[in-house]
Amino acid sequence: MDDSGMTFHMETGSAMEESPYRIPSLKLGVWLFILSDAVTFGAVLYAYAYLRVGTADWTRPFATSSIINAIIMTVILLVSSVAVLAALEAAREQHRSKCTLWLGITVLLGTIFAVLHLSEWIRMIHEGWRLFQNPTGGPVTVGMTFFCVTGLHLIHIVGGLIALLVVALRYQRGRLQVNHVETVGLYWHFVDIVWMFIFPMIYLMNAK
Amino acid sequence: MDTKSVNHTPGMKSYGLLLLGLFAIVAIEVALTYQHFAPDVLLPWLLILAVLEASIAITYYMHLRYEQPKLVWSLFVSFVFVMIMMGHMFPDAMRLLHLRVIHW
Repeated sequence: MDDSGMTFHMETGSAMEESPYRIPSLKLGVWLFILSDAVTFGAVLYAYAYLRVGTADWTRPFATSSIINAIIMTVILLVSSVAVLAALEAAREQHRSKCTLWLGITVLLGTIFAVLHLSEWIRMIHEGWRLFQNPTGGPVTVGMTFFCVTGLHLIHIVGGLIALLVVALRYQRGRLQVNHVETVGLYWHFVDIVWMFIFPMIYLMNAK
Repeated sequence: MDTKSVNHTPGMKSYGLLLLGLFAIVAIEVALTYQHFAPDVLLPWLLILAVLEASIAITYYMHLRYEQPKLVWSLFVSFVFVMIMMGHMFPDAMRLLHLRVIHW
């Protein structure tokens, strides 16, 4: 590399500018996506926190059974993060089948999380909670914030599951490389981190 | 120039130990919840614990500890800046909420 910060690539025969962060562009792109998505969730949770603390007669809809359900969901998501790390370790050791197996376990755990999440939604809808309806007669913003915040997270979970499945299948066939497993893993960890804020703010703050 | 992904990782044993640490933080959060503090007291404590959890996950699970410091600082500073700006803007949004009648 010369003083101009340019590198001459023998394979392509062209001069290319050095990556500012010394990481592949795919990974940098995922980091920037995560940053922008983190700001989105930050804004949503900021708004929720203001409404929650600023509303005196806020309804607490979650009985102990719902909190236990949310704790199980949290444990599942945390374990799935370690499963995706195991997949990455296997990919780095060139064990394609082992990597696919761990990615499959991650997908399974994520699916269980989504099913538990939907069961919580169904329970609340049966109780009369809607986007603009509070069955107890309290502020409607309770249901609104719950469905919006957890719904946005659930969309990310479903998106992550699809991405994990696609990467697992294509990596198994040799069409993708280790860095693809790494970047889909980064996204999955991000979804996990968002839940680390949703669980205490939405569920624990509203425990009966 | 080496543009490969960082290959330094804490290893599966460390990931397992960190997972136990994350479980412990979740347990503390649940225990705090059932102390029945006022929302404005409970929320900051839960947020501190959530930030601690997120820091562990970002540092070790997302391997940010092993990335270039300038990448870490670029991401961290820009995110914190936006969050601080939101902190300035949201109280004003609440003030506007009380300036007019809203039928939910």
